[in-house]
Amino acid sequence: MIYMVSFFMVGLVLGLVAVASNPSPYYAALGLVVAAGAGCWVIVGLGSSFLSLVLFLIYLGGMLVVFAYSAALTAEPYPEAWGSWSVVGYVVAYMVGVVTWYVVEGGVEEDGVVGLAGLEGYVVRGDWVGVSLMYSWGGWMLFVGGWVLLLTLFVVFELSRGHYSGSLRALE
Amino acid sequence: MTLVHFSFCSAFTLGLTGLALHRAHLLSALLCLEGVMLSMYVGLSSWPTQISLFSFSLVPMLMLTFSACEAGTGLALMVATTRTHGTDNLHNLNLLQC
Repeated sequence: MIYMVSFFMVGLVLGLVAVASNPSPYYAALGLVVAAGAGCWVIVGLGSSFLSLVLFLIYLGGMLVVFAYSAALTAEPYPEAWGSWSVVGYVVAYMVGVVTWYVVEGGVEEDGVVGLAGLEGYVVRGDWVGVSLMYSWGGWMLFVGGWVLLLTLFVVFELSRGHYSGSLRALE
Repeated sequence: MTLVHFSFCSAFTLGLTGLALHRAHLLSALLCLEGVMLSMYVGLSSWPTQISLFSFSLVPMLMLTFSACEAGTGLALMVATTRTHGTDNLHNLNLLQC
């Protein structure tokens, strides 16, 4: 179990290296999908099943689909993947940076949590209880969050609709 | 520093470095911001199990809510840029200023 979670932690870092090394947005979105999938495994390995489910359904299923759809607006005739020389240079530089930090830090200690909270435990864990507190004591924060999402809807409409009184208008 | 701390701290730093340096497209910058947000989500989710304080578990949910707002607004700005300039190359935003 601890090896599997460690593997996906390395996958999280490698996914971020793939995003940050400036490839074309198609491939950067692919790297972010890899990082998000690895993050789901890390969180469920640490013993939070509900937060992992939220990351999988909301983040990977909702937000990243919108990002992948928006990648159609950035069409390039010659997209650059991780085989291009500039991208390879950034990947190597970032990997050297991460390994240098690891060495300077002197390795990592063993974490007691990962070994204890295996997948073989219960499905409903403590984080289900913690998140459900948002609906009782955290009610006002839930209200603020919902209000902010509604406000963002109108912000998005106003930014992108192209009305004569919106933010996107023809200058006379 | 345990492996959990090292992995999400290095992921955060990588995303921030990629956001700060050499961005060709606006969508690439937004994807790096999303990577920063993902590493913060993983880090905040690892806290409640490490300190066994499960009422802290709602903090990643709220952070995901606000990051959805950030992603929506950023993508709307990208759509507006594409409609005015035809592309979202950041170099094009300096051309033909009006």
